Amino acid sequence: MSPSSKPRSNKLLLVDADFRTSQRLAELLAEDGFEVEVVRDGAAAIARLSRAPMPGTLITELSVALADGSAIARYGRSLDPGLRVIVLTRHPNLLVASSFGGSAPAVLTKPLDYARLLDLLHDGGRGEAAVEAGALSLRP
Amino acid sequence: MPTETRFQEIKRYVRLDEHDAELLREFGGRIAAELPRIAMQFYDRIREHEDAHAVLNGEEQIQRLQRSLVAWLSRVLGGKYDERYHEQTSVIGRVHVRIGLPQRYMLTAMALIRVELLRLADQLLGAQAGPTREAIVRILDLELAVMLEAYKDSFVERIEHAVKQERRALGTALAQAEQRYVSAVDLAGVIIVGLDRQGSVQLFNREAERVTSYARDEVLGRSFVEVLGLEENGHFRAKLANALAGQASNVELESSLRTRAGKLRDVVWSLSTNAESRDDSVVLLATGRDVTDERANAERSRQNERLAAIGTLAAGLAHEIRNPLNGAQLHVSFLERAIKRKSNDPDMLEATRVVGDEIKRLANLVTEFLDFARPKPPELKPTSLVKAMEHACGLVAETAKAANVELTCDVPSSDVEFPADPGKLTQVLLNLLNNAVEATGATGGGSVRLRGRRGPRQVFIDVEDNGPGLPGPDAPIFDAFYSTKEGGTGLGLAISHRIITDHRGTIDVSSQPGKTSFHIALPLDQSAGALV
Repeated sequence: MSPSSKPRSNKLLLVDADFRTSQRLAELLAEDGFEVEVVRDGAAAIARLSRAPMPGTLITELSVALADGSAIARYGRSLDPGLRVIVLTRHPNLLVASSFGGSAPAVLTKPLDYARLLDLLHDGGRGEAAVEAGALSLRP
Repeated sequence: MPTETRFQEIKRYVRLDEHDAELLREFGGRIAAELPRIAMQFYDRIREHEDAHAVLNGEEQIQRLQRSLVAWLSRVLGGKYDERYHEQTSVIGRVHVRIGLPQRYMLTAMALIRVELLRLADQLLGAQAGPTREAIVRILDLELAVMLEAYKDSFVERIEHAVKQERRALGTALAQAEQRYVSAVDLAGVIIVGLDRQGSVQLFNREAERVTSYARDEVLGRSFVEVLGLEENGHFRAKLANALAGQASNVELESSLRTRAGKLRDVVWSLSTNAESRDDSVVLLATGRDVTDERANAERSRQNERLAAIGTLAAGLAHEIRNPLNGAQLHVSFLERAIKRKSNDPDMLEATRVVGDEIKRLANLVTEFLDFARPKPPELKPTSLVKAMEHACGLVAETAKAANVELTCDVPSSDVEFPADPGKLTQVLLNLLNNAVEATGATGGGSVRLRGRRGPRQVFIDVEDNGPGLPGPDAPIFDAFYSTKEGGTGLGLAISHRIITDHRGTIDVSSQPGKTSFHIALPLDQSAGALV
């Protein structure tokens, strides 16, 4: 279950240095009913999290410029402990689940399987553990 | 009464008569089909004992000896025990002496054969087995008696040789000095051989005995170069001749030497002339260091370092590849959706599906790279050699059949359990077997053999094929990204090498056109220390 009992906002904050690809992902997600903002680095992500309205989900690379994914997540969860975190990374083996300031994040390995991300977003927090386990085994 | 030959005397002593001969002939005819099995069991047992195994020299020799054993058993049960028979048995005895087979192994091995033959006699003849059993016991005793004569002959010869040497040594004061030399150097950890002016061995220390397996009295007085089979390319001989003639005082050189069992060892020699020598007893000291294991270990260590460095590079590269793959994958998802929305053109949808599949294939390849670069340690558990081999053969059987390659799974006569990660071991065997099938399949009508045997402290697994062989003896086949196959990633053998070394085992290859063999050795006991 989601850590928060209130309905989750459909606002997503997407943090990735590859801006062109992030924009394309944002377009796909927008078509599927999400409201997506894209930032390129950790500083921009923290700046965005500082102001309302708070996104319901943070999708971030593990290694981003100026602050890594876990620091962004910790900051976001200090403002809203119910913030859902999805890590989208090329380095799944570097992830330390306990450093995200709350429940372990869901992990998706690049290249992203869009259908799996969509399932995860629609499934709320229920599918996170399974996705995480699958991603950490390094198997597609 | 005519003079009795030694053989007739032994026959009379064990009371082997014509009736026994008849019984043995009949029994031999009935169990002929069982003989190859007995021979295989016999050599599988020998492999389990270190000293006995040490006199053997590779799988080919064992196969040959198994065939000889079948021939010997056929002769023993042939029913014709004449002087020719005696001579043939004597020859076998002399071979045992020559290869240095300890007598105790001959006696215990004969017991193994005796038990098998008696068991077969009981099975076939039941309550009537008595006379045949007695005949078996008599003929095997006769065999042992004749073979032991060869040991006696050798012993007498060695004693006579030693006595001759002793007399010669006692003849001069320098010989006594030499004796003191021997005592001083005997416990040194290097090979020390003293030579006279003719290049004959006059001093042979304990380390020399250990490395060569020759006893001191066997080599004293014999030519240094010939008895140790030092390389014949003339280079060693020439330098040795110079040193013996006093034309060079300190010479460093390398040579391979042949041990008593015929194995080659690499030795670095230092030849020092003995200026103090006033007669012919010792004019030159050859000090040698056996560097065979050291070099093999250094080569393995270099190989591991290379693999580790390449592994780190591969891991970094693989991770970086995931970013552009991610961009490509997302754009393909976007395109697919756009096509569905606008034209739903099946050709365009098929094209995007193909691109998507190719991206997934690349992603899988990246995952394989990471498996290689960041492998998980093996999860060891007791593993059956026979089951592991049969499983691997079963998985390759269809491929081999399709390629018209004859696949043989040559399992040991009794199973052995050893600590291994069964999944990873299967990965290695599949890799080697598939490579072998591909190599032989290309030429047509090839054959591939997977052989497993137990050694004293290891399990040996060989994969042999009769394909065209490797490009050259120095081909870096265990290096990552080295491949001779079109479309090969060059990771299969590198991963196999890593898996075997992670099991604290070794993997080597020998290759020539028409025969390539991969040899794997895995420890029976993981706590006994690494093999490498």
